[in-house]
Amino acid sequence: MHGRSHSQSGMRRPGPVRLLGLAALSILLAQGAAAQETLKLGISAPMSGAAATWGLGMEWAAEQAAERINAEGGLSAGGETYMLDIVAYDNKYSATEGARAAQTMLSRDGVKFVVGAIGTAPVRAMQALTERQGVILFNTAWGKSVKGPDFPYTFTQMNTPFEILEPFYTFVKEQHPDVKTAVLISPNDATGQELEPLAIETWKSLGVEMLASDWYERGTTEFQPIATKIASLDPDVVDFSAAPPGDVGAILKELDVLGWDGVKVMSAGTSVDALTAVAGEAAEDAYLGASADFDGPTATEVQRELNAGAREAIGEPLNGITISSYDAVMALQAAIKAADSVDPAKVKDALPTVRFESSYGPSGFGGEALYGYPQQMLLPVIVTQVKDGKPVELTRTNPAELEALLNK
Amino acid sequence: MQIRSPGVWACVALAVAAVLFALLATNPYHASLVVWILTNAVLAAALRFVLQIGELNIATAAFFGVGAYTTSICAVLLGWPFWLTLLLAPLVAALLSALFGWVTLRTKGPYFLLVSFAFTEVVRLIYTQINVIGGNSGLVGMFPPMAIDAHYPAFAAALLAAALFALYGVERSDLGRLFKAIRNNDAIPRSVGLNVVFLKVLCVVIAAAAVGLAGGLHAYANNVIAPSDFSYFVAILALAYVKIGGEGHPMGPVVGAAVLTLVGQRVAGISAWENIFYGAVIVVALLAFPGGLIGLAGRVRGLVRGGAR
Amino acid sequence: MEVFVQLLANTLQIGSVYVLFALGLTLIFGVMKIVNFAHGAFFTAAALVVTSVMPFATATLGLSLPASYLLAAIAAFAVVLCIGAVVFSFGFQYVLKDLNGSFILSIGLLLVLNGIYLAIYGGAPRSVPQVLPDTINIFGARLTEQRLALVIIAIVVTGGLYLLIERTRLGLALRAVAQDQEAAMLQGMPYRRVALSGFLIGAALAACAGVLMAPINAVTTVSGDEFLIKAFIIIIIGGLGSVAGAIVGGLFIGMVESVGGYFFDPSTATLAMFILVIAFLLVRPQGILGNAD
Repeated sequence: MHGRSHSQSGMRRPGPVRLLGLAALSILLAQGAAAQETLKLGISAPMSGAAATWGLGMEWAAEQAAERINAEGGLSAGGETYMLDIVAYDNKYSATEGARAAQTMLSRDGVKFVVGAIGTAPVRAMQALTERQGVILFNTAWGKSVKGPDFPYTFTQMNTPFEILEPFYTFVKEQHPDVKTAVLISPNDATGQELEPLAIETWKSLGVEMLASDWYERGTTEFQPIATKIASLDPDVVDFSAAPPGDVGAILKELDVLGWDGVKVMSAGTSVDALTAVAGEAAEDAYLGASADFDGPTATEVQRELNAGAREAIGEPLNGITISSYDAVMALQAAIKAADSVDPAKVKDALPTVRFESSYGPSGFGGEALYGYPQQMLLPVIVTQVKDGKPVELTRTNPAELEALLNK
Repeated sequence: MQIRSPGVWACVALAVAAVLFALLATNPYHASLVVWILTNAVLAAALRFVLQIGELNIATAAFFGVGAYTTSICAVLLGWPFWLTLLLAPLVAALLSALFGWVTLRTKGPYFLLVSFAFTEVVRLIYTQINVIGGNSGLVGMFPPMAIDAHYPAFAAALLAAALFALYGVERSDLGRLFKAIRNNDAIPRSVGLNVVFLKVLCVVIAAAAVGLAGGLHAYANNVIAPSDFSYFVAILALAYVKIGGEGHPMGPVVGAAVLTLVGQRVAGISAWENIFYGAVIVVALLAFPGGLIGLAGRVRGLVRGGAR
Repeated sequence: MEVFVQLLANTLQIGSVYVLFALGLTLIFGVMKIVNFAHGAFFTAAALVVTSVMPFATATLGLSLPASYLLAAIAAFAVVLCIGAVVFSFGFQYVLKDLNGSFILSIGLLLVLNGIYLAIYGGAPRSVPQVLPDTINIFGARLTEQRLALVIIAIVVTGGLYLLIERTRLGLALRAVAQDQEAAMLQGMPYRRVALSGFLIGAALAACAGVLMAPINAVTTVSGDEFLIKAFIIIIIGGLGSVAGAIVGGLFIGMVESVGGYFFDPSTATLAMFILVIAFLLVRPQGILGNAD
């Protein structure tokens, strides 16, 4: 009541003192609003340029998770109730912008939990800050270098090649037992460089010889030379490694013209839509290691709902990368409950042992044997294949660690 | 010309204020903001410095990267002391730029522009091909020593401001007048027996040393560097700062960098509109205010004085 | 042997698009003395228009595939010429012959146009069906009829441009202005109008490349920019402002990409291209066919 009379008289005669009072009042009001306790969850992803759809998809999926939790009355910990708010920043896929996004997010906006970060370079830039400042960082980076006991605040929110390649290649080899030779095509970027040695080694362990491992620059427009080379080597398998679907589509189209017809493998393949948009029928029968059919019969109810919503809201279905922010928010919710605190130091100690309901089903964290610290979200490895231009899930297998966890 | 104008003291005061602000800011974001602005200002000032001889040097971006990589390689891979790594950044950048200038400055105008562009891309692609320096992932873990870690933004701001003053000092010296003479017509300096190519190379080298230092400081401020941070686009943004601030005045790059960096922080994250915004600012500034913000301020002041008289 | 025929075919396929793209860039430079960083935006606009008009024409108007492609091509040229006329009359005509000023203006325009494309079309790649999807075999080289048509059209357009420049009044004016603008103006040539014609012809060449590439490669809002860097290299090699140089340079870069990509890998070929340019300039700073300044 008092406040109202102040502001009304202030409006009629705005003297300097009254204006000051008004300012003080607005600060008080702002603090009153803050008492409702909002928990800001950050996202650092490309929101512009060629990879913009990833950032937009990831932001959308995180918002869905936040809305669900808010609709249930928010998140309670330490006697307080918190409403979740997603703030997304454009990291432009580069280290500099990633570092800037991180500084802005952590210092200006006081974010203590990052529920999604895309791009190896920006993630590493961000990690330099989050580990020092004690901020939890969920990310999709594939490198082993971002993991380990030195990085206890860092958690990986999706399967990486270290989880995918072995079961994925083994499955492909089972389908085509007579394949003997392969060619690997990698984009010259951070992910491509992380993936290459592991891919060669894994194929070798399955008895497949690597005839050539070639690189191309992102932004290449003409793929006939590389296609000509592949066709003349005539391998049984072409592995497109971490190449984005548009580029894979372009190469497949050229290979089709040149008459090559073998097993097509995209270990990091996420989006069938983009692939078939470019390659058309030439993409038929390609195997994808990081895609999922979130519309199909093996998808969970949550995934079908999210996918339909995403198509409507952003015009794109979700993929393994973009849906991961939903899973991160769910993991965080469970960990905050378990720790009964929103102190990142306590939450990070709770995360490795927490059980939560991901969009794929029950999940937890593991990977201690491989990385030295249990910071890898355990999710089923899904192999999909392009059939009539649509992704068809062939198998959805839980890693042994997840099986053990579920049966405990 | 020899008498120090009061404007210089105003600039010194401004620089001291910026350093103090970085030193005293309680929010690390605000301190970082000062460093970003000054880094961009040095890039823009160096670009403008070479514009004195009439050349648009896109390779400013490459020398920024060379400085950052030199510092990072020495710090992370070799474990050399902080001061040495920072000292080497401008030296290596200057050395490389001397080589680059000696080869390329026989061309001029559009050729030099395009060659400096190609050089920048070559250097960036070479980083991506070398596994020891992290390939595309780049290098991570450049941290300032604990003793100055807390005050690093102020430290960096002071050195960056010093680089700006150094560039200004050269511009006002006899050497600076020679550079300007080359721009107007390189036949005249040649006719009085001056080695024009040597002067041009010297101009590029001085600018490269300044951005090399900025690159080294950037590496420590950012903790992470990657090849994609040093594409030709860095120079293009620097050119935008110069044009917005005003090419005619030494403070132009600083004003342009400050305005666009601050505004950029506000529009960040709204995807397509960020591009449109930056583009529109450049187009409007170029067509409507050819003298940039400084030129505009000068005109306004002229009008006010004219009215008072 | 077969491999070499295929590599030659690849060189022609890649080179012909580069030639069209670089020709426009070099023509604009010749007449206006500006390095147009926004040239790729013309290409992108044309390709994007094709991807939106073609599905509309086949689905809503019920046209056949070739007819809807033709309609889309006309629409694409119209849109690009409009954009070209607008950016010329509201921008470039004020910075003619100002190398740095026009360069930064073109960068500003590129950012605006790319932002607009992204706002309208989003980031996902778009594609249209090929009009001539069948594959043919020429002396052991395999390519689609669509690609063959592209090469033929590119040759025809390049030949047409050559005739236009060498045999017509407009061509004479363009050449005169490119050689010595002041002398041309003294002889009563309307410089601004000639510059506009040159600019629009350059834009139309980029649009032509965009229309031809749309059914072949997926189109994104930055498709054209990826050709720009190659085109810069081509016009350095060929000599700024030289039409013949753009043709030779375009085919040369096509060959480096085709042969280098085959014997090494595309990444190495890209790097080699840049290093070749710098080496080239050491020997001949004014390009293969450029005139010393």
